[in-house]
Amino acid sequence: MEIATVFNFTHDAVIFVVGMTAILASLGVILCSSPIYCALYLIGHMICLALLFLLYNAEFLAVVQIIVYAGAVMILFLFIIALLGGKKEVQENTFHRAMAFAFVFTLLGELYLSATVGTTQPIRGEIPPELFGTAKAIGLELFSKHVVAFELASGLLLVAAVGVICLAKFSFAPLRRRVR
Amino acid sequence: MGQEFVLLVSASIFCIGAAGFMIRKNPLIMFMSVELMLNSVNFLLIAYSSFLNSLDGQIFALFIMTVAAAEVVVGLAIILTIFRTRHDMDVDHIDVLKG
Amino acid sequence: MFASSWLILLFPLLGFIGLSWYGNRISRKLVGFVGCGTVGASFFMTLVTLSNLFFLPPEERVGQVQTLYQWISAGSFKLNLAILVDPLSVFMFLIVTGVGFVIHVYSVGYMHDDPEYSRFFAYLNLFIFSMLVLVAAADFFFLIVGWALVGLASYLLIGFWREKTSAVLAARKAFVMNVIGDVGMVIAALVIFETFGTLNFVDVFASAPGQFRPNDDTMLLITMLLLVGAFAKSAQLPLHTWLPDAMEGPTPVSALIHAATMVTAGVYLVARCHVLYELAPYTMYFIAGVGIITAIFAGSMALVQYDIKRVIAYSTMSQLGYMFLAMGIGVYSLGMFHLMTHAFFKALLFMAAGSVIHSLDGEQDLRKMGGLQKVMPLTHATFLIGALALAGFPLTSGYFSKEAIILSSYHAEMGNIVFWAIAVLTAGMTAFYIFRVYLFTFFGKLRSPEVHPHESPMIMIVPLLVLAVLALLGGVLGPWVDSFLAPVFGHVAHPHDNALETIALVAGLGGIATAGLLYMVSKQRLDFFKEALAPLYDLLFHKYYVDEIYDYLIVRPTKAIGAFLEQKAEREGVDFTVDQVGLQIKEVSHVISLWQSGKVRSYALNMVVGVVTILLFVVFM
Repeated sequence: MEIATVFNFTHDAVIFVVGMTAILASLGVILCSSPIYCALYLIGHMICLALLFLLYNAEFLAVVQIIVYAGAVMILFLFIIALLGGKKEVQENTFHRAMAFAFVFTLLGELYLSATVGTTQPIRGEIPPELFGTAKAIGLELFSKHVVAFELASGLLLVAAVGVICLAKFSFAPLRRRVR
Repeated sequence: MGQEFVLLVSASIFCIGAAGFMIRKNPLIMFMSVELMLNSVNFLLIAYSSFLNSLDGQIFALFIMTVAAAEVVVGLAIILTIFRTRHDMDVDHIDVLKG
Repeated sequence: MFASSWLILLFPLLGFIGLSWYGNRISRKLVGFVGCGTVGASFFMTLVTLSNLFFLPPEERVGQVQTLYQWISAGSFKLNLAILVDPLSVFMFLIVTGVGFVIHVYSVGYMHDDPEYSRFFAYLNLFIFSMLVLVAAADFFFLIVGWALVGLASYLLIGFWREKTSAVLAARKAFVMNVIGDVGMVIAALVIFETFGTLNFVDVFASAPGQFRPNDDTMLLITMLLLVGAFAKSAQLPLHTWLPDAMEGPTPVSALIHAATMVTAGVYLVARCHVLYELAPYTMYFIAGVGIITAIFAGSMALVQYDIKRVIAYSTMSQLGYMFLAMGIGVYSLGMFHLMTHAFFKALLFMAAGSVIHSLDGEQDLRKMGGLQKVMPLTHATFLIGALALAGFPLTSGYFSKEAIILSSYHAEMGNIVFWAIAVLTAGMTAFYIFRVYLFTFFGKLRSPEVHPHESPMIMIVPLLVLAVLALLGGVLGPWVDSFLAPVFGHVAHPHDNALETIALVAGLGGIATAGLLYMVSKQRLDFFKEALAPLYDLLFHKYYVDEIYDYLIVRPTKAIGAFLEQKAEREGVDFTVDQVGLQIKEVSHVISLWQSGKVRSYALNMVVGVVTILLFVVFM
């Protein structure tokens, strides 16, 4: 056996296993009764996805996924769960649930079908393969070709921050106290 | 593993997220399902940027992550505001806008 | 050269507009002056037009069309605002403005105490204007416009005393019957347009003889439809029931409209379209038949009526029958001559009766009058002259015109003995009933002692005198009328048959004598006759029950259909549908709005369903 085929085989096997784990973790997210467990499953799912990113030559994004998504966003989620609703919820089988499942399976089936439709027009880029996925390459692309979107995204984040402060402040601010 | 595997995995996670959004009553878990859907799309984009040898996919995924982060923040603030004074986390009880 | 003829129509129109806007703010005297002045000015312009017409040689007098404004010019169809100045229309102008002027002066006195004085003169001017439009029109379109306007003016004037319910109902009845005639006229105009491609008199009459052989179906149709209009306007059978009821209006209205002018519009129509009627001899027989039957029908009803104005109204109907007989036989200028003399003596009779009514404070029942001979000598004299003219007493104008028609009813090529016999019988009846009225009114003793009659003021008497002179001496105008109208109608022969003339004369005098015998000398003979002929008397008194027949056959079914349609078609049909459009939208939207449950999860489900559907299209098509 050659090293290349062994390497490829291992590569494919690892991708397969991690992909399946991601799917199973997402099933866990939606099927658990306790919100904390769902959050934990989601963290696991994000780690699997980060591994997948890594396997597809996107190191920078893998790390961003871990730091921002799994690290900040999910911790925020956990805080809110701790603050609000940690009760286990009972799943009853309503008509609505049945319809939801039916349509979602249909959607899945259609997506599988569309997988056989074929790819669209290929885009070919000019990145040397050893630089592919590194922070340097992403930085080069981001600040040259997509700088407008970058600026707009930063504006979006600012708006979000201000909005959250307003939302949070409204229910709390006891304005009358300052009069004294 | 070729492109079909990526497509199938991404589609599965997306549908699972959609199903989760529709069948859970707890708003936080619904939000998590939305995150699942976004993640699936991220994965698809990054895998395809690898196949097509272009960084556009990765940058798009980066922006998605940014927006998702902002969205989570604002959304959780709203959920907090609505559900702080109630003691049941059931999104079906918020139907004041019904026609 | 006839451009000044437009002024004939303009003056009454200005009078109407001015009096209806300012009539309430100017003094009564001024209203009277303006009202009469406009018609007087029209009469003066008519004389000017007449003299202008005499400048032309007789052959050229026909077909002078004065165009004011070119209104429609669509392909080959042209319609202009134009008047036709030819002997026939000038003849009618003379009668309308001349007699109209006299009656206007009379109304100044008659309506003196009425609070709505200026409105009356405004309406009278409107009527004169409408009638002038009718006779001056150069095409069928404006003829119908004038026709309808005359109907409107008649409605306004009959219902002038708005508080009187009977007057308003009579006005409505007159208007409805006139509208029936209008419909016939409009259909006729449409058929004419389809056949000839134009509505101008000159063009239609020029092209008609070449296009059609006699008694062609189209020509019969056109002439019969025009007759519907003519019979409605001139109160011939079967559209006659409005005329006796129209006596609810003031007496000057009866004199002007229902004696001299409006009711003669039908006769004018037949005269104007005589070219078309000559192409349909069947219709002409029909006209003559209807005319003579109406004459005797109306004459018989006048024998027993007690309202003085109603008797005179029936005599108008009867004399119009004579005119239609003349038109039907083909002696058009004789018919027009009788129209002229009838205008004189009938207006005279109405106005004299009005003078009597005015002095008796509104009393119209014959049984309450009597003995006015000494108290109102001038009215008595003029009424007598009018009655003699109507009865056809020798040397009055009525004698010449009626005799001419009665003779022609036998001697003309379309006449026959039946027409003649009925005409003579009617003449006898006419003499009888008018002298019955005369004797009731002026002889014997006054049967209503509480009123004190007096002679009417001069402003009312002078018009009576003018018309009396014309009624007496108008007979000499006969030959002139014939020659004046000859360019339009062609020359007509005046037959002389001594035997027939004497028979007619005897019939007239016999009628007068019978009236004298029954009403002056002894009462027993009158009572004897009344008892012997009681059923006949009832029939005549109730006007042959025609009104009741019409009520059962036409009025009640129409009202029932109207009520039914209002309930079913209007309320339950149209209203229901329109309401349901709105209501159903509301219902459906109410049901659909339940879809918006306010729950986020169901909205998400909807979204997924949508995505699935779109993907179906993407994947499979």
